[in-house]
This record gives sequence, C-alpha cells and structure tokens, in this order.
Amino acid sequence: MSLISLKFILFMATLLILYYRVPERFQWQVLLLGSLCFYAFAGPHFLIFLGISILSTFFLMRNPTKPRLLLVFAISLGLLIFFRYSIYFGMKSIAVPLGISFYTFMTLGYALDCYDKKITPCESLPRYALFISYFPQITQGPIGTYKAMSKELSARHPFDPESIKAGGYRVLIGWFKKLVIAGRLSFYVDTVFSNPEGYGGLTLITATFFYAFELYADFSGYMDIACGISQMLGIKLSENFNRPYFSRNIPEYWRRWHITLNEWFSAHLFMPAVTSKWNKKAANGMHKLFPFAKKGTLRMILPLILVWITTGIWHGAEAVYIGWGVYFAIIMLLSFCTQSMVRSFSEKNGWNPEHPLARIFQVVRTFLIVCTGEVMFRAESMKDAFSIYRSIFTKTRLNASSIAEALVPFGNGNQAAASVLILSALLFGLFFVEFRKEQDPKAFTCHRYLYAGVFLVLTALLGSPGQSSFMYQAF
Amino acid sequence: MKKSIVTIACAFAIILFAVAGKNLYSCEIPIHNRGIRDAIATGDLDVLLIGSSTFRCNIDMREMDETFQGRAYDISYGGNQLAAASIQYDELKRRSKNHYGLMVFELGPMMLTEDIAISDSRVIWDLSFEGKKALWKKMKEGGNAGLPLTFEYFVTSGMDDLLTFPVTEPFYATRYYKGVKTEATPSPGRTVLENEAFDLSDARPVEAQIDALKEIIEKCRADGQPFVFVESPVYHRLEEDPAYRKYRKEFIRILKESGADFILAKDVDFDCHEASYFEDMNHMSEEGRKLYTRLLAPLLSKRL
Repeated sequence: MSLISLKFILFMATLLILYYRVPERFQWQVLLLGSLCFYAFAGPHFLIFLGISILSTFFLMRNPTKPRLLLVFAISLGLLIFFRYSIYFGMKSIAVPLGISFYTFMTLGYALDCYDKKITPCESLPRYALFISYFPQITQGPIGTYKAMSKELSARHPFDPESIKAGGYRVLIGWFKKLVIAGRLSFYVDTVFSNPEGYGGLTLITATFFYAFELYADFSGYMDIACGISQMLGIKLSENFNRPYFSRNIPEYWRRWHITLNEWFSAHLFMPAVTSKWNKKAANGMHKLFPFAKKGTLRMILPLILVWITTGIWHGAEAVYIGWGVYFAIIMLLSFCTQSMVRSFSEKNGWNPEHPLARIFQVVRTFLIVCTGEVMFRAESMKDAFSIYRSIFTKTRLNASSIAEALVPFGNGNQAAASVLILSALLFGLFFVEFRKEQDPKAFTCHRYLYAGVFLVLTALLGSPGQSSFMYQAF
Repeated sequence: MKKSIVTIACAFAIILFAVAGKNLYSCEIPIHNRGIRDAIATGDLDVLLIGSSTFRCNIDMREMDETFQGRAYDISYGGNQLAAASIQYDELKRRSKNHYGLMVFELGPMMLTEDIAISDSRVIWDLSFEGKKALWKKMKEGGNAGLPLTFEYFVTSGMDDLLTFPVTEPFYATRYYKGVKTEATPSPGRTVLENEAFDLSDARPVEAQIDALKEIIEKCRADGQPFVFVESPVYHRLEEDPAYRKYRKEFIRILKESGADFILAKDVDFDCHEASYFEDMNHMSEEGRKLYTRLLAPLLSKRL
C-alpha cells in the first residue's frame, strides 16, 4: 500500500479514528494491529520473514551474549542476503519482503545496543514487534533506535488537534515533493538515463542535476509523509534530512542526508572499527610507510573504506553502488586528509571561509561533488556511468542546438516550454523555501493555513498521478 | 478546526475552478497555427488532414499550398489514435459549418494495435467538454480508465499549457504553420537508421481501434464527407517488419470491405531505402517531407 494512494488515505483515516477512540492504554495495540495490516497488504507471506526477524532478535537478546548476538546476525543478515543478494549468486529473482533492509538494520541495531548494554532488553514481545513493524517507518525508514522509539510508542497520546494539523501539513508537503517535484523530474531523468548515449553533455548535466533534486524530493518527501503521519498519531520519528544540499563539505553533507542510516553506520560499524585492535595495527603499519601522516588520520582510513563500501552494498551489490561507495570513501578520505591543510592555507592567505562568497563556493562545490557521485548511483551500469562522464566532458556545448536538445526529454515539442516554465518555477520555489529555512529554521511556520492551501492546490493541479512507489523502496 | 476546514474548502474551490475552466473553456482560447480550433477558424478547406506526428512530420504545408492555393490544413497530435481521430471528426462537424473538400485520415497500420490512451495532452486541451467525455467513454470501454488516468485526463493533463498559456503561446505559434512544424529536421544518417532498435513483436490488435476505424468511415459516409486514408512511406526496415505488414494488410482489408478509398505508400514513387529522407523509422526529414508532399498532392487533388 503506497503512502500516496487513496487506499492509504482510507486506511489512515480508519486507524486515526480507532486510535483516538480506544482507551489510551490500548493505543499501542491498535498501532501494532494497523502496522501488521499495513505490512500484510504488501504480501501476507512477507509477515513470516518479518516475524522470524522479530522473534529471533527478541528471544535471543533477552539474555545478550556473544554467541546469541552472532546468531541474531546470522539469522537477520542471512534473510537479508538471501532476499536482496541471492540474485548475484546466480539464483532466480525472488520478491523481496517490503523494507527488509530497513527493519534488518533496526533489529541489528537493537541487538548490538542490548549486547553493549546501552539499553535494557524489551520485556514485551508485542511492544518489540511494534517497534520493528511500526508502519510509517518500515518501508523506507527512518531507522529508529529502540532507545528513542520505545518511549514514544508506549506512551499514551491524548487527542491533540494541533498534532493532527501539524502532521497533516507535513503530509501535504511530502505529497507535494513526491507528486509534483519528484514526479515531474523523474520523467526527464528516466528518459535520459535509459539511453545516455543518445544525448549530449548539456542534457546529461541537466539530467544529473535533476536526478539530485528528484532523489531529494522523493526521499525527503517520503520522510515528510512518514513523520507527518506519525505526528498525527502523537509519535515523533527521527529526522532523516536537514537541507543536505546546503552543506559546505562532504562530511557535513553525510550528516544531513539519510541521517539515521549514517548514524547507524557510525555507531555500529565506524566507531567500533576505529577503536578495534586490527585497525590500530594497520594504522601503525601505515605510519611506518607514511611517517609524516598523523596517526589519528591513518586510523580513519580503513574504517572509512569499510563503512562506505558497506553503505554501497546496502543499496545493492551492483557495481554502480559499490563504485558509488568507493567514490564517497575517497572523497571523505581526501576531505579528512586535506582539512587542516586547507585551514592553514586559508589562514595564511587571509581568506575568510565564513565570507558569503566563500560559503556559496563551498555549497556549490559540495553539490557538484555529490552530483558526480549520483551519476553512478542512478546509471544502469558502470559502463553507462563512464559513458555519461565521458559525454559530459567531451560532448558539452552551450549553443542553441544543445539547448534545444536538452528540452527534448521534457516530452514532445508541444509541451516542452510549458514544462520548463512550470518546473523552473517549482524548483525555484523549493530552493527559496530551503534557503529561507537554512537561514531561519522557523521560517514558513506562520501562515501555515495559506501554505497548506497552496500545497493542496499545486499538488492537485500539477502532480503526476501515475506515481505510486518511492525510490528508496527498492532498497 | 474551523480554519482547516476553510483552507480545504478554499483549496478545493480553486482546484474546481481551474479544472472546470480547463475542461469547459480551454477549447475556446484562441491558439494559432495548430490544432482543431485554428483549423475551424481557417474556414472552408479543400484538404484537411487528421493524423499523428507522422502526418505532422511527413507533410510539407508550403508544398501543399502550391497545389491547393492555401486551402489545406493538417490537424495532427503526437501519437493520435483512430479513436481520437473519430472524436476529432465529430468535433469539427459540431463546432463549425465549414466545408471540407477532402478529409485525409492516416493509414497507420500500427494504429490498430494501440490501447486507447492519452497520447498527447493537446488532444484534451483542444476538445470541447462533449468531445472529452466521448473520448473518455472510449478509454473506459477499452478498459483503460483507472483512477490515476481519470485524474490525469480530467485534472492535470494540459494544465501546464493552461497556466503558462500567455507566455508559451507566442513561442509555440512561431514553430507551426497550418498544423505542422516549421523547423528543419535533418536525417541522422544511414548508420543510425539501420541500427535503430524497434520491436513490434508484442503488437496485438485492439478491437476499440478497429471499431473506431469503421466508425470514421461510417460517419463520413453518413455526412457525405469525401475522405481518403493515406499510408505514409516508412523507412524500409519498418516496412519489411512482419508485424507491420500484417497490420497493414488488416487495415487495407477493413478499408476494402467498407469500400473506402485509400492511397498506399507504394502508390507514390518514393524511395524508402533512401536514408536522407528519414528522421527515424516513420518520420521524414525535411528533404523527404518536401518530396513526398510533392508526390502526394496531385493524388489528393485528383480526388477533389
């Protein structure tokens, strides 16, 4: 059941009525029932695999020991690998349970936190089942932690009209981002990326920028819907985005994009790897080879590579995702290694990195680096990705025919100009709103009714009604 | 809560206003150099062509002007279907008393295999509400009318054109002449044409399109409207495709059974192996279009 379908609106309306009608102590049971029903819509048999993950983690982690932890890893990762990656081992393609990558990380995170004694193991199976299966987050995250979610999910939530209104407003923003902005951009992006060799450099650059905005509008649109729905239920979900395209460097970008996944990797893979014995040994070895390098920096290298390759594989075992992971590993390493050099160079030359022009430069540079990586993320193969890079560098011309060619994917000639105008206005609007929010996070919080009306009108009149799935659902 | 209800009510009122405006009155907005409304505004015509982008790319209206002294017009929409052409015919007859010496419909074999769908939002933009409803009925009968498509058909389709009309219309108007595009389209060359991928193996006949073809013939007969179906030459690779040949045969069989007049590609002396005449498999380059129109025009003229 897609979060942008009529079926879901009916489901949500029914759930809301039930949720606020039952005595508050039963609210979490209503949520659990609703979440399981929601999940069963994707395929009732998928509940079996969700059940295995929930039961195994719950029972094994009641008394967390190392062998039990390893068993949880074997079961959860085994299921994930079987469904997501068996195709790469020559097995037939099989239907992947909805949100398996996301809930597996939640169960693993829970198991690790229990093992590390950061949390007390949950005592109630139904409550734990609700934490894993909570419907707004199960398909695409955010990857919540038990520590943050358990209180929210078990608390009593009296009916609060303000939460309903604020949540509804956020859902509207999400629909707008997904149906209007991402939907329109996807048409152009899909056309170009399905046949990259058929287009010149300017069209490919346009498609790459559009893809960056599409991915953001699609993924953050989903998060707005998920967080909005949750807010309507009185439950606060972790945020996954914080205007990432205004980041001034790549490490900052990854602190602002898909925040919960990166926090998960940071807490459960990066930090343990940095402090591990094998990494210390490796860093010492490297220090002998490069005595001028700081030991602290050298200890970052292997964990960074490990995290980024794992992040790539988490998205899929295709070469494009691994290439994307390696690309960001290199960029992150360069960023860490050159950080102090750039700082001292700026100080020596009297450059002020806080000057507005310097900030604009940093934001644009970061965006371009991200876009370069996103080409691999979107391309259908590494061959296509390299063909796109080659065309961008060798086939980019800024003349009338190149501009005319860049308009072709907007549809047939009849609609190109109208599409360009509407899309330009929408992207400018999105940029303006994000820019104002970057300056003042409280911007656009007054006159909410007016904005809600505008979003409703624009979504109805300019949306792409054929959209039903979100991009990150594929992961 | 009161404010929320007022907001939703106001938003719906604006949506309703814009949607009703588009569906009821968009066909009245003056648009120049293309589409049904401009054809109607042009008045009586010797030749009126109704077809898809194939007609738009393969007919040179300046060449037609020489034969018909400016009394020819081409109504063409991207991917225009037989079902839509039938509605467009009704629309022309309902909205004007113009006299058309000869109506030329497209004999596109693969048109018989297309599911009834919105091929070009301009079709909806140009039709009156009655026409829109009729086309919608056909889509529904063809089983192609789920909720998203209904929404697209009545709400979003053509909305961009409506909202940006004052800015885009002067730009579009310069790109058309009597319904066809004025820009020069060169051939991509033999290598590209010989390697261009196409696959018609999945094509299946669609009953609704076959019915629409018969409907066009019946309507023209009933109105005493002279008409002819014209097959545009296509690049030899497409012409040699078994599926293409199969549906051409079927199209011709229906026309023969109904006693309808038609002109086949082979009736004009046009070389389908000449790559410089084509932009792709079924759209001609500027050179091909000029030559083909010069060859076709006398055959149409004979029928007046």
